[in-house]
Amino acid sequence: MRHLISMLLQNEAGALARVAGLFASRGYNIESLTVAATHDEAVSRLTLVVFGDDITVDQVVKQTAKLVDVIDVAELTRRDHLERELSVVRVEGDGEAIDRYLARAGARLLQRDGGHSIVEYTGRTDDVDGFIDGLRNVADIADHARSGVAAIERVPTALPDLSRA
Amino acid sequence: MNAQPDIGDIGRPASNHPLAGQAMTGADIVVQVIADEGLDVLFGYSGGAILPVYDALFRYNQTHTLDDGGERLPLIVPANEQGACFMAAGYARASGRVGVALVTSGPGATNAVTPVRDSMADSIPLVVICGQVPTGAIGTDAFQEAPIGTIMGACAKHVFLVTDASTLEATLRTAFHIARSGRPGPVVVDIPKDVQNAPLVFHGERELPVRGYRARLHAVESATPDDDACRVFFAALAAAERPLIYAGGGIVSAEAADALRDFSQAFGVPVVTTLMGIGGVDTTDPLALGMLGMHGTAYANYAMDDCDFVFALGARFDDRVVGVPDKFAPKARTIAQIDIDPAEIGKVKAAHWHHVGSLDVSLRALTAYGRDIGFAPDRRAWHAHVTALKAAHPMNFCRDGDLIQPCAVIEAINRITGGHAIITTGVGQHQMWAAQYFDFREPRRWLTSGSMGTMGFGLPAAIGAQFARRDLTVIDVDGDASIRMNIGELETVTTYGLPVKIVVLNNAGDGMVRQWQKLFFRGRFSASDKSLHKKDFVRAAQADGFEWARRLDDAAQLEATIADFLAFDGPAFLEVVIDPDAGVYPMVGPGASYAEMITGEWIPSRHVPVAHEAEPTGMF
Repeated sequence: MRHLISMLLQNEAGALARVAGLFASRGYNIESLTVAATHDEAVSRLTLVVFGDDITVDQVVKQTAKLVDVIDVAELTRRDHLERELSVVRVEGDGEAIDRYLARAGARLLQRDGGHSIVEYTGRTDDVDGFIDGLRNVADIADHARSGVAAIERVPTALPDLSRA
Repeated sequence: MNAQPDIGDIGRPASNHPLAGQAMTGADIVVQVIADEGLDVLFGYSGGAILPVYDALFRYNQTHTLDDGGERLPLIVPANEQGACFMAAGYARASGRVGVALVTSGPGATNAVTPVRDSMADSIPLVVICGQVPTGAIGTDAFQEAPIGTIMGACAKHVFLVTDASTLEATLRTAFHIARSGRPGPVVVDIPKDVQNAPLVFHGERELPVRGYRARLHAVESATPDDDACRVFFAALAAAERPLIYAGGGIVSAEAADALRDFSQAFGVPVVTTLMGIGGVDTTDPLALGMLGMHGTAYANYAMDDCDFVFALGARFDDRVVGVPDKFAPKARTIAQIDIDPAEIGKVKAAHWHHVGSLDVSLRALTAYGRDIGFAPDRRAWHAHVTALKAAHPMNFCRDGDLIQPCAVIEAINRITGGHAIITTGVGQHQMWAAQYFDFREPRRWLTSGSMGTMGFGLPAAIGAQFARRDLTVIDVDGDASIRMNIGELETVTTYGLPVKIVVLNNAGDGMVRQWQKLFFRGRFSASDKSLHKKDFVRAAQADGFEWARRLDDAAQLEATIADFLAFDGPAFLEVVIDPDAGVYPMVGPGASYAEMITGEWIPSRHVPVAHEAEPTGMF
């Protein structure tokens, strides 16, 4: 079962390591992990994707919620949310064929140098998978970087307002 | 999930602290915050990276003396940093206050890892302050550098690495707050040497926001079961005929022993405790059934098998208690649970009713509700059943023969102390015998490494406990293998003239390991036999300054020797040569259910003994 977990972390040294460590110590391979400061620079948002059974993941999430650095944590899998992942790919191949594919897929060309192109695509994880598969049909993939998932709830009030706690 | 403005910064511009606004170094601030926290003793070992704090402490004690001329913040120096931190933990366990240890960087801090993890596992409030190499040298493999933030981050309730000197004061105060609040635990503050030397201004009151932690803490601390929750709880309790309280270390941590006794007596609910819950209820109370679990009393385990309502209080259904989760409390129709830690609710067994909050407050609220509705079910049949279990399956051991039985030693000590001494232990058979055969009338008299099971805990913990409670007799009941682990601390006892009593039950080896090897490894005693070891414990104690140090190997001298040992006014060391084949019974084997409990030769079982599987087991 895929679990998408989102949390707000204090932007402190070691905070990320402690969260990652809780999952790693249970033998979970973290599928994707993104962290960056939010509009409040003291706070980072961490988005994490793991596969595991519901009960065990639920227990890890509860343990995560005890970490002092964690401001809030939610499992978005069970909530109405939007998620996106950025993919940047270096390909070798015919520019026109690549351009036609990019237009069809809704992707962008970032750079072209002779037969080398760097392209960008953003979408849900499975859309990114599909984009990469399609790209293989028109070009050779030389290098590939994916950002991991960033996600946000559709409804902003689903979590407690900490200022009233 | 939008970030909110800081809500936890409770710093105020105008502090009432008499030293507010005064220029201090970081090291002076460390000492001042510790003093403000009300500590009266510290434990620690010096070294290069903590020298500024040690110097600040020396200067503080020169100018701050007690009426008797003593130092305001005496620093107790152990043989090893593990000893210092277990002393701080012993102080914390005996007093309920935060224990503090000061250690240097690198090896000083890594020696502290075991007690920090031990304190985390048993929810003991500790603040460990570590020196660290200067900020600029971090990450360069500098002399005595270790990545303490990373190492301790995985072991402690929280770890702070103070890289910005201006946050030092608030960080230290917050460390104490985190250590003692909610589910208590150890907090490590790693302070680079340049931060200790930084010229700063003392503010007198300031804490870090830690807003997520404070918000969660506020939520659990203010939570009491509402009328609806109470109604549902008492409806389930009314439907039960055989309710049983399963009380853990949370009762002790939350100072909820009085609330537990009131609840138990008001509604006639018998109590079993975990190893950590011992003392949470007076073990001599008729409704108290002692410890349950792997080496619990037979009657506690039978009561758990028979009950139809389990009320878990600050207990976490540990594998040493539950064995096989599906077969634990097989007749219980309701499991109700109160814990301050939401992660413990339903972790092992699903709870039909639960409340996350302070045990003391919650139990009082339930008791008040029950009294208001006049809840008074007839429990005579259940009480008679429990009394019959106690009478039919009492704790017992071999009472004749030439060899000294360990349980006889504990019974003899108990006759004199009457359940009022502080008992500390190492880990293994002697720990279980002490848990089974001592009476404990009050909380914080039983100090043992429960969850981590750290051999070597007993001696330093006894030292720390004696500093916390100079008015009580402190007895370290230890094993010959456990005491070796921190035997350097014998010298600490005499250096500080502590009247700690140390009794070593010597069975020439790792007795509990041998017991398992006998049962599960066909008697192959791999590395657990010490009968060829040459150590003379009595001379070792004498060499460390023990004036009273004796060896007891004659059963006829047992009573007189123990009376003399306990009566000695000062440090005393007693080695007792015990029956090396004495086992700990009852025993619920690893991965077994209570129905498969072995009660041994001297405790009647109510089942036909189950043929033993003498196969190596995957269970631990």
